[in-house]
Amino acid sequence: MGKKMNSEPLGKLYNGGVTKRRREWRGIKDTWYDYTRWVGNWATMAKFMLNVQNLKGFFRYRWMSNFLSVPDFVDRHTEGLRGPQLRIAHKEFDFIVAHATDTIANLFRGDANIGGDPKWSKKVVIFDENMMTHVINGFPNLTAVTREIPPIYMGSVMRQDGILHYLDAAEEYGVPSDVCPMPAGELGLAIEDDYPQVGCCIIHCNTTCDGSLMGNGIEDRRFDVPTFELAVPIRYLDEETKDYAAQEIKNCIKFIEDTTGEKFDWDAYFKAMHTFNEETRLFLEWLDVSKTDYPQVVGNNVALYRDAYYQVAGGRDIGFLKNEQEITRIMHEAYEAKTPIVSEVRHRAILWGVQAQYYSAFPAWLQNCWGIQPLIDMLSLTSTEIYSEDDKEQAYYDMADLYAKENMRNRSEGGYQVGVEDLWRFCEEFRADVVIMYEHIACKAMTGYHGLFEEEGRKHGVHVIWVPHDLMDPRTVSREEMRQSVNQYMRTILHEEPLDPSLESIDDGEAW
Amino acid sequence: MKDLKHLEYFENLLQESNNDLVREAKEEGRKAIGYTCYQIPEPVLNLPGCFSLRLSAPRVGGIEMGTYYMTSMTCEYCRALVERNLEGGYQFLDGLIGAASCSQLADAHENMEKHGITEREGFFIEHVDTPMKSDENAVNLIKTICEKRILKPLRENYGIDTGDTALRRAVEEHNEVCKLLNAIGEYRKFDNPPITGYEFAVLTLATYTCPKDKLVKKLKETLKELKTREPDTDYKKKYRARVLVAGSEMDDPEYIKCIEEAGALVVCDRYCFGQNPGRNEIILTEDEDALTQVCRQNVMENQCPRYMGQKKIQSRKDYVDKLAKEYKADGLIYQQMKFCNFWGYERAACSHIMRDDYGWPVLSIDRPYVNANSGQLRTRVQAFVESIEIKKIQRTQDASRAQGADKLHRTREVSKMQGGGR
Amino acid sequence: MGKFISIIKTVLAVALALFILSWIVYFFNLDMKLSAALYNPLQKIYDMRKRDKRL
Repeated sequence: MGKKMNSEPLGKLYNGGVTKRRREWRGIKDTWYDYTRWVGNWATMAKFMLNVQNLKGFFRYRWMSNFLSVPDFVDRHTEGLRGPQLRIAHKEFDFIVAHATDTIANLFRGDANIGGDPKWSKKVVIFDENMMTHVINGFPNLTAVTREIPPIYMGSVMRQDGILHYLDAAEEYGVPSDVCPMPAGELGLAIEDDYPQVGCCIIHCNTTCDGSLMGNGIEDRRFDVPTFELAVPIRYLDEETKDYAAQEIKNCIKFIEDTTGEKFDWDAYFKAMHTFNEETRLFLEWLDVSKTDYPQVVGNNVALYRDAYYQVAGGRDIGFLKNEQEITRIMHEAYEAKTPIVSEVRHRAILWGVQAQYYSAFPAWLQNCWGIQPLIDMLSLTSTEIYSEDDKEQAYYDMADLYAKENMRNRSEGGYQVGVEDLWRFCEEFRADVVIMYEHIACKAMTGYHGLFEEEGRKHGVHVIWVPHDLMDPRTVSREEMRQSVNQYMRTILHEEPLDPSLESIDDGEAW
Repeated sequence: MKDLKHLEYFENLLQESNNDLVREAKEEGRKAIGYTCYQIPEPVLNLPGCFSLRLSAPRVGGIEMGTYYMTSMTCEYCRALVERNLEGGYQFLDGLIGAASCSQLADAHENMEKHGITEREGFFIEHVDTPMKSDENAVNLIKTICEKRILKPLRENYGIDTGDTALRRAVEEHNEVCKLLNAIGEYRKFDNPPITGYEFAVLTLATYTCPKDKLVKKLKETLKELKTREPDTDYKKKYRARVLVAGSEMDDPEYIKCIEEAGALVVCDRYCFGQNPGRNEIILTEDEDALTQVCRQNVMENQCPRYMGQKKIQSRKDYVDKLAKEYKADGLIYQQMKFCNFWGYERAACSHIMRDDYGWPVLSIDRPYVNANSGQLRTRVQAFVESIEIKKIQRTQDASRAQGADKLHRTREVSKMQGGGR
Repeated sequence: MGKFISIIKTVLAVALALFILSWIVYFFNLDMKLSAALYNPLQKIYDMRKRDKRL
């Protein structure tokens, strides 16, 4: 217990229950900071609950109960952190909490199920869960809402069993149990009548995967609003797909214009893209620092936040940029001071494959338990292009490029080059000696490369540690089983002892 | 029923990818171009000097190597392709068009490429995107892909004539085979069809896996034979229900045999490697280039569940409903190869929608790539056939009860009119 | 003036009490323990709600 990293056996905080025994003691300064942020998050949630419409939604939708665990969610992702990393983490996760409450409030505001405002609903365009939202940048009078994110994506991150009810509903309907739990959960949500009924139209996309495409098509039976299906090329690097993809964007914009009566506003679009580009520049700075001996914005501090601002916000929310500027400032200071993230960095790792939503805090465990420093993850290694801020024709191609490079499909589609080859390039750039290979067993895209990864890993002399999981269903592969995959490799192949032995095996099967 | 004269001949052609007709065509100097998905317009690969070959892995045993490379959680068709390739089973190919129609197939092609397919001079492999919507933008995409990724290497590597006239000739050949097969298929509409689903599946599959021109003679003779072929007299006893089989890729006619042995005659199909819509004729006009028209038909008639859009999704159900009515089916069997994402969802949805919205009895099954002798499949089909029979009996009883009630009602009316009512 | 000081004192005392209380809640994770206790009763409320389960 103390100010220093790894000064407390963190595994002792787990007692086999839903919650931890107590919160971590990080020394006076850091614990005080953590406490103030905890108060802040409760204040955000209390403000949310004071709105009658939100309160109605809370008691209408089963998935809302997942958000009871928000402070625990923040605790999990800040576990073991001290100093600048703790501050960066809070900057990100607290922002996510605030942003999520806004998204849910937008959903409930127009939700017909709970007597929402139909006028507001007419100004809402629904987007798929895993889909870039950049076309809406040109419609400042409309609000884009990714309806499935709070119930499914966040539901599973908040509680490891957060979406099991919906998964079971989909399986009872007849959807095979081997499909990816994300679209299956979304479908279950539709079957269970648990979607807020909001929005004047829906934009679907074939991101991220074949299952996602199928699930969305079927669940539309529940919604009586026009839909547009944005087809994004699978082999998006191929030149001949570019015109096709740009035309799809044009068709999508026309659909929104025709459905809502709004006109695409190029000034608004370019303004948002300017913000987006600024964010990209900052992200590139983060990556540069991550390649040094003193990485700062890494592990849990990249993954979920990058999803949020890259995909969901898309440059529309200036708050994200301000937040990132502050993070970058902290990062530079910490780098100058050569601040380490863990007491001992034994391995530098790239996380590849799709992370387990029900164990999104796994990178924290890697660094706290074994001193494996996760530098960057596959889902965060999306586009770092700087997009046009004044060329209208180019903008269609830019948007098409972004849609193709959505977080979850950027490397699972696109072919061997982006899915396999790039990994070894990143290993070199980041000087990583370990690849934590998330094997999402239901992901039909990445598992097809299994053997090739093994062969190439051997050739490149990189330790490839396979960590199987089932994205949102911990019943298939538990968190403990995920940890055991690493433990076994570390002990039997690398003959190492853990930094924090109390974390090697944790009784968190019942935990959030 | 007496055996079809050429059935064994056709069956033998399905025993391996590099079959007698493929070898014969190659000896003539023609190039064998493999492909794996309906999304690639077939006539483009059947230009004079080359022929298309829909890849399968006949008689594949274990797929351990395929499983090592792609894990046990992926489609067995894809794993079987990888396995067969590692065995050197596709060395005779002169080209492979790998459609990225689904992630697993795309991965399978890349696995095949990384391990090497053949050392043949001029061999090329192209990984291509394919559309997912039935609109003109999609037509343009597949047309561009055909031009750049198929016609160009055919022209440059093998000197194939890829001009409009050559393509029109390929379409003519395609249509000739389709016409013959569809004429044979017409017999399946008969109350007592002189051809079984299994026999038809063998013929259909052969049209995908052999040079088409080399099948024409035998198909013609088979069509002629059917005109006089006497159907089984115990047809009603042997087949207690007529079914349409829909679903994912199926290149093993043994499955159809298994279904028929369990008492359900397969009178129509709507699966990959099947008749509908793969064996539709392509109607060309003179006012537009052939390639655009071929691509448009492929995109517009496509029935693959990967096609998005509510209209398209609904039209898939309407299409199956129309076929089932046309072929006088009593029920539908939706089958899905295990781990197929597209059909996993489509099958689940159709098992509800086709029953609730269209009134069809539906059997929904998932199955491995090969294992036609599955006792489980047999039992499920038997139970399905029985349920169809029970429904038929119930319908008859309901009808006669309604008739009886109607008669009684009329008698009462008459007696009322005659003043004899109570 | 005395009244004003006493108000200040009361406010400070309340703030201090709130701070100590919230600190205890924070450190011993009592907020999450309460949330965990609320979860199951909430599920019963969701179960009772009439839903149009279909597709």
